[in-house]
Parts: sequence; structure tokens; C-alpha cells
Amino acid sequence: MRHVEKQPDVTKTKPLTEPVVFILLSLADEPRHGYALMKDIEALSGGRVRLRTGTLYGALRRLLEEAWIERFQQSDTSREKQAYRLTSFGRKQLQLELDRMKQLTRAASSRLKTREV
Amino acid sequence: MSAQRVFAVLLYLYPNDYSALFAGEMIIAFQQGCNEHRIQGRAPFVRFVIAELAGLIIRMPAEWIAKLTTDTSTRGRALPDLRKMRPAGVPYELWFAAAGMNYRQTSLPLEVAQAQERVTFLMNAMVHAINNHDFQAARSYSYEEYRQRDKVELLKKKYGLEQ
Repeated sequence: MRHVEKQPDVTKTKPLTEPVVFILLSLADEPRHGYALMKDIEALSGGRVRLRTGTLYGALRRLLEEAWIERFQQSDTSREKQAYRLTSFGRKQLQLELDRMKQLTRAASSRLKTREV
Repeated sequence: MSAQRVFAVLLYLYPNDYSALFAGEMIIAFQQGCNEHRIQGRAPFVRFVIAELAGLIIRMPAEWIAKLTTDTSTRGRALPDLRKMRPAGVPYELWFAAAGMNYRQTSLPLEVAQAQERVTFLMNAMVHAINNHDFQAARSYSYEEYRQRDKVELLKKKYGLEQ
């Protein structure tokens, strides 16, 4: 009998905070170190979200604990410039969050349309 | 006192394991931010420094609460346990030779000592599971500990250590 993996219910997943979503999105395309993450998040959000160092590393600590991201040493950088990358579990969680957002957007759009009619 | 120095001093007030892992990176990120904002002028630089230092102070209680409330096994996955880290200057061989000292200090054969260690480990795991209300895990640890105790008794018989 073939094992079929049950699809997680996106409505039951806990929404992620904005900094966490931006960190995961920033790490989705390539690994980055702390300051590069801050700059990329600022660019991603069009200058709206500027993460402070304390906020960024607090979020990174939580994500490391949850094993959504991992640290690794880039060969061309010093000890302090550890880079972070998304784990496959982290990528799955980001996908779940994006699905949740899509569902919310669809529901909101349909409500707005019915209101306009 | 420079902004970097104040930043570094504030990082000392964070939990030890947190600052051991992140302080170096955080200082570098702060320095890069300072350099970038200094070019933009005095006012943006001062605004940046104030916001960063305030952010660091605001996050501090949250990090302490996280340290005190997070399970050590969960936290240990990400942050180093400083008590288990090899101190600087101590050679690798010496550090790990010292870790095996318990077995050599006891008069028990290595096999018996290791089995007894396993019993202690399983008991601690069982207590930890009960504290976390994970009774299913506690039952399996208890069963495993029971089996391990039997094994210790058999080993003691084998080596003539029944007394």
C-alpha cells in the first residue's frame, strides 16, 4: 500500500510574525549573514521594515531552536560572519504561511467583491 | 565611550549562551550599520545609534524570559551549553580523556559502570518526561530502566560483584 502524506491544514497553522516571514523569505533564495539579511529585508519590504540588530538576532535564535534555519560557516568569511540558510522544514513552514496568506487574500477579495455588487 | 563600546557592554547583559553565539556577529552588523549611516550625516547616524541601543535594551528581558522558560534540550539545539564547552587552551585529547575519568576512578568493570550510567540517564529522562507531562515517554523510559537494571544485576553476577 502506498503511503500518502496527509496535507497539513493551513487554517490550523499559527500565523508567523512579519519579521519572521521576511527573514524566511530573504533566506529562501540564498544563504545570508546578519547584516545582509537586514539590508535585504529592507529592500524586500520597500523600506517599510527595518529590523534592528536585537530584533533580528532574537528571531534568528528562535528559528534556530525550531530548526527552520541553520548556521554554517562560509569558506570566504571570518568566524563572526556565520551565514544562515533555510532548512527543508523551514521552507515547508514558509510555504504553509504563504498558502495561509493566499487563502486569506482570496477570502478578503471575494468579500469585497460581494460588498461592491 | 563610543557607540560600539556601549553596544558591546549592553550585550554582556544578555544571557551567556546567547551572547557567546551572537555577540560577535551583532557587533559586526552594528558597525556596518554605523559606517553606512555616518556617511549620510550626523542626524541619521545619531537616530540609528539611539534606535539600535533602545532595541537592544527592549529585547533584553525577552531573551532572559526565553532562556528561563525554554526547555534546555530545545535551547541546546541552537545555543551552546557553556558548561560543556572545552575551555580555550585545553587540548582536545586531555579534555576528552577527563570526560572518561569516572569509569577509570571506579573499581567497577567498564561494562558494569556503563550499564549503571545508562540507568541513571534513563531515570533522569523519565523524571524530565514526567515534569513535561509526557507520560507515554515516561512509561517507555521506566520500562527501559527496569530492563537496564536487570542487565546491571546480570553483569554484577558475571563479574562476581553481587555484594
